[in-house]
Amino acid sequence: MAEPSRILNYVDERFFVRDLRAKSKDGVLKELAEYLSQDKDVRDATLVLEMLRKRESLGSTAIGSGVAIPHGRTLAIASIKVLFARHQKGIDFESPDGAPVHLFFAIVAPPQDRNNEYLPLLGTIAELVKEKKVRGMLMKAATFADLRQILEGWGDE
Amino acid sequence: MSDGRTLERLQKLSHLQDIELMIREAEDTKTKQREEEMGFTLQGLEKLRAAREKWRNQVDPKDLRVFDRIAKRHPRAIVPVEDRICLGCYMALPTSINPATADPDRLMTCENCGRILFWLE
Ligand SMILES: [Zn+2]
Repeated sequence: MAEPSRILNYVDERFFVRDLRAKSKDGVLKELAEYLSQDKDVRDATLVLEMLRKRESLGSTAIGSGVAIPHGRTLAIASIKVLFARHQKGIDFESPDGAPVHLFFAIVAPPQDRNNEYLPLLGTIAELVKEKKVRGMLMKAATFADLRQILEGWGDE
Repeated sequence: MSDGRTLERLQKLSHLQDIELMIREAEDTKTKQREEEMGFTLQGLEKLRAAREKWRNQVDPKDLRVFDRIAKRHPRAIVPVEDRICLGCYMALPTSINPATADPDRLMTCENCGRILFWLE
């Protein structure tokens, strides 16, 4: 597995969301865009939200087992950002297995990223959350430090 | 003055460009295949194309003409500005170009590459 610890280059404390409040799929997208817009590299929250919505119309970004990875490129972003968020109760996100989604990793990238980091990063996250043990730990993570520990400690075994 | 209306016009064009990029990537066999291997579905291309057409109707026709004309030369017809640098061609913008004094009825463009500038002060 590609080093999950490199996810930490794109996520920080503000992008660790313990409990999402939204009650619908679109509500979650809105909340994710709002959290992301706290960063100065995010030029426009509206554009981020509209991009995430369009990506869902192409096909749900839920990949089963209670995980969704909303992602895409937008002019509204100056550099790649990753946000981790959790919904305790679970949200219907039109997942292929029909299961409600509890764990979200949102990835937003600029239209061009110089080192082509975006797709490999998306792949690393998709691969990471396939591990049942990782999902269990992510469900329990209480702080950003816990998330950091999970990402640092996984993948070398 | 960059008023709310200017922002709205730039947002509309930017979103149009985001949709077009998303369509291009979904049409790209390699990108599509990689995303599908990761477990994502990309079955809604027709829906997305329809959304693009609907969105094009939301854009001011005059702006759309400018956008389409530039897009023929540059797939990214609208680009952000950072530290007075056009992120389309990476040239510094002359001081005569200034969002604070620009004509709100005209889209600001880069004198060097001609792209529309997503620039608000
Ligand atoms: Zn330029």
